[in-house]
Amino acid sequence: MLSLENKIAVVTGGNSGIGYATAKDFIEQGANVIITGRNEAAINNAAATLGPQAEAFTADQSILADTKKLTAFIHERYKQIDILFVNAGITGKIGPFSEVTEENFDEVMNINTKGAFFTIQQFLPLIKDGGTIILLSSVNALSGMPGAIVYNASKAALNAFGRTLSRELVSRRIRVNTVNPGPVKTDILIKAGIPEEVVAGKDFAKSVPVGRSAEASEIAKLVTFLASDNAQFINGAEYNIDGGLFVHPLLG
Amino acid sequence: MTSFKDKIVVITGGNSGIGYTTAASFLEKGAKVLITGRNPGAVQQAVYALGHPAEGFKADQSDLKEVRRLADYIQGRFGTIDSLFINAGFAAVGPADALTEEEYDKIMNTNFKGAFFTIQYILPYIKDGGSITILSALNANAGMPGTSALSASKAALNSLARTLARELAGRRIRVNVVNPGVIETPLLDKAGLTEEARRFIADKTPVGRLGKPADVANLVTFLASENAGFITGAEYNVDGGLFVHPLIAS
Repeated sequence: MLSLENKIAVVTGGNSGIGYATAKDFIEQGANVIITGRNEAAINNAAATLGPQAEAFTADQSILADTKKLTAFIHERYKQIDILFVNAGITGKIGPFSEVTEENFDEVMNINTKGAFFTIQQFLPLIKDGGTIILLSSVNALSGMPGAIVYNASKAALNAFGRTLSRELVSRRIRVNTVNPGPVKTDILIKAGIPEEVVAGKDFAKSVPVGRSAEASEIAKLVTFLASDNAQFINGAEYNIDGGLFVHPLLG
Repeated sequence: MTSFKDKIVVITGGNSGIGYTTAASFLEKGAKVLITGRNPGAVQQAVYALGHPAEGFKADQSDLKEVRRLADYIQGRFGTIDSLFINAGFAAVGPADALTEEEYDKIMNTNFKGAFFTIQYILPYIKDGGSITILSALNANAGMPGTSALSASKAALNSLARTLARELAGRRIRVNVVNPGVIETPLLDKAGLTEEARRFIADKTPVGRLGKPADVANLVTFLASENAGFITGAEYNVDGGLFVHPLIAS
């Protein structure tokens, strides 16, 4: 028996990277998946590749009006959903604290944090009692990576949402958990201006105990596990999936 | 469903509770499992109940001579294994000011020293690319009154796992910790937990119930599987949300 048989899932930012890989894994486990993304062509293309269990909806998760349209669409089409994977996010411009502009600040906080907040708020009536929400954060939420100050804070705030909601949504038996990946081979790093050869492996690999960056599909496996009934007693948890990177070696 | 076909898993303290259920879960997924326990009769009975291909070995994990015998047996019987689940544990509660040296030693020797040397002795027989999963408890990160030595022994385990995650990275051995909340096991019965206390715990736990051994087993088998290839040095709570601090809310 597949672990997500007959489940309906929404994946925000589902046309590439971790979102896409997770949509694919959800589908392989029997779910029907609605993926969202800002770029209409990219999101339609992704849904077509994912096949008949996937559906695309163009929405920018930082624009509340878009989310409203999305939830109206889903309500009409599916009535309710089982799984919400809040995945949409950006790193923003990487650079020192003193050079962060208000525009840089707002862009990251609006997508990663405010967008996630109101996506969840608007989706909540559509999530079945006993359903589940999974937030994609980052080990940056717990660390102090120089040059990523807004991104770090935007993710730390997301983890706080996860914890608080895990207690606030108890009466509806909705489990809320957060996944903190380490370095993953996705476009998000390239979009942040990190050179492709660095993303592709070598430099990151040196600092990660397992000696490499993650495939997006590996993050997907953990998200699928948390979304499944095998994780019924897991709530309010923050799971690192980082190849051991977050374990501080101090001077080692 | 992940397959553990041809995988060999060793579980310490596997004749009841979380260890037993995890053994059953690994077997269901195709693994060969060796369980250990202090009481030979109980181990034998559990092996029989688990069915083929479960095996048992009598060992008190706090007795290093027995741990050595276990490691030798593993080498002779299997050569190498894929996964080690450090599950054997002992709980005793009581205020710190009344804890005797004997009680202290029993807790630390079973939960930490036993686990430490079990890993050290078995390590040569864990395949490169294998995994170690350690059963800790939320107590490792909390301050629950009456559990001073118990909590410290678990905190030491979590620390051990973090260090091993980095030390064993060269052999691609992943090391992770699972911190359960309150789980319905014979340990609770042994501790004399009343119905009323169970209800109190269920009410305190956001998902509204105590955990079941299967809740933990699902996570342990996931962490030992190929699906968790990028997970090492991690501490995963499986506690129904109990560890999320509500501060001044009820």
